[in-house]
Amino acid sequence: MNAARVMAIFEKDLKEFTKNTTILFTPFITIILAIIYSRMETGDGLPLIVVYAIVGITYASVTSGVMMILMAEENEKKTLRGLIMSPASYVEILLGKSLVTALMTFITLIISFIIMESTNMIDIQQIIGLLVLFFFFLFLGIAVGLFVKSVGMTTVYLMPIMFIFGFTSMIEFLGFSPDSIVIKITDYMPIPQLVAMGETESWSAIGIVLIWTIVAGLLAFVCFQKVKKDRA
Amino acid sequence: MSSLIIDYVERTSDVLPSFSVEIEKHTSTAIYSDVDIQISLMDFLSREKDIHVFDFEEALYERLTVQENIHFFRKWFQCSIPISELLVKFDLQQCAGMSVSKCSPSEMQRIYYAKYYMSNARWNVFYDPISSVNVQTMNVFIQLIERILEEKRSVLILVASAEHALLLTDIAYRLGTDGLHQLETESEEREAESATITSPVVEKLFKIPAKIDDKVILFDPTEIDYIESQSGKSYIYINKDAFALDLTLTEIEKKLELYGFYRCHRSYIVNLQKVREIITWSKNTYSLRINNKAQSTIPLSRTKLHVIQEIFKLK
Repeated sequence: MNAARVMAIFEKDLKEFTKNTTILFTPFITIILAIIYSRMETGDGLPLIVVYAIVGITYASVTSGVMMILMAEENEKKTLRGLIMSPASYVEILLGKSLVTALMTFITLIISFIIMESTNMIDIQQIIGLLVLFFFFLFLGIAVGLFVKSVGMTTVYLMPIMFIFGFTSMIEFLGFSPDSIVIKITDYMPIPQLVAMGETESWSAIGIVLIWTIVAGLLAFVCFQKVKKDRA
Repeated sequence: MSSLIIDYVERTSDVLPSFSVEIEKHTSTAIYSDVDIQISLMDFLSREKDIHVFDFEEALYERLTVQENIHFFRKWFQCSIPISELLVKFDLQQCAGMSVSKCSPSEMQRIYYAKYYMSNARWNVFYDPISSVNVQTMNVFIQLIERILEEKRSVLILVASAEHALLLTDIAYRLGTDGLHQLETESEEREAESATITSPVVEKLFKIPAKIDDKVILFDPTEIDYIESQSGKSYIYINKDAFALDLTLTEIEKKLELYGFYRCHRSYIVNLQKVREIITWSKNTYSLRINNKAQSTIPLSRTKLHVIQEIFKLK
């Protein structure tokens, strides 16, 4: 592994970011949604569930989405051919792209929080939760990005991730009774856990999110091994 | 670093004939063959020898500028040559600020050369590197080969035409279904052989007979662009169409001398009336450009240059 190569990828993708309209618009959509939600505020701040809806959208579209699109572009145009000399090069590429994704995600998130005036709701516990959640979505993005062949195909994978993991807390508005199996499952999903944590301040929520992150990490690892085997 | 030995004895493909060749270190070698054989050879090289072959399969970052692309590859491959020097060496300074998607095919080709050069591969294998590029780019490529050789690396070039094979390298082979043959030594052998043959010479021959299947076609000497010898056979070229000839180059050379033909290379006789341009590549390699529809270029031996210059009263 070589830090200079990671930085080379980071620099290159940052430049690409400013020139690729598909990627460039993803943070804007989140920020516009944050503005719309902040208008609905009635006086005592936005409820945590709404704040986490924005967090979910940011993580799904900016973190997972951008990671997928960046990898899909390279796979589609075969630009990685000739660059990869060993499996270590793959790690360097993924790391460089993760840095770009992280930078964009946190900029978007901070702007959204400022717009929603919810910066005061964020304490240490929430920040740790948000960080773990970031890695969960990043691993999902890497897992899909490793094998997705074209930019068009990313939508197919991005939509389920967006709805299942990004909008989880919105599912209860669909009118399921609190005892139904759907609500019981969604309660254990990462975002509802963090919303609940805001109310109970129990650390067990972070543990559950961590388990989700580890599972996503394993999924990314399996995909990586598969890609490595296909190339050899 | 030792020499690369391509030992393809146990045939696994229907197309590729079994052959064995040693590419010595610090030399450039060209193998000339048809497309099917080229593809299976490339396949063999990348699979068995783990060589990254230069071809048209990869791509550049089209949204970024030429300079940004070079900058990234330079960092990735950890190349120590300054970026400005790279741009000059590959003749990219004119288009450095342009985004790659707006570059011409020749310019893109030069970026590919630069990328491949920076990857610092142990074995530099090129697949048809100069098939559809302009003269400027061809020159850049010839300089690239020299630079690789100076750096004590080896070059193997797979091409589709004998002209390119002879232009680019010192050692050229032809790989056909009948195996591998060296291009130049073969014509030497034939020259020795032809000296013993005494064919009846028709006096005042005005037509050159060529065969297509069973038919014999007679050509006017003035129609012919050039004559090439390939693995013991001579071919007449008229606008990229080749016609097999029963005579050897040495025999035909004598007959055609009167009509303004000249043996400009061991394997080529050119119609001097049709020469449009004498191209000087770097490091004393020369080509003649023929004034026909295909704008063919044929190699001109170093030793024959002064004769050509005398003929055209250039000196």
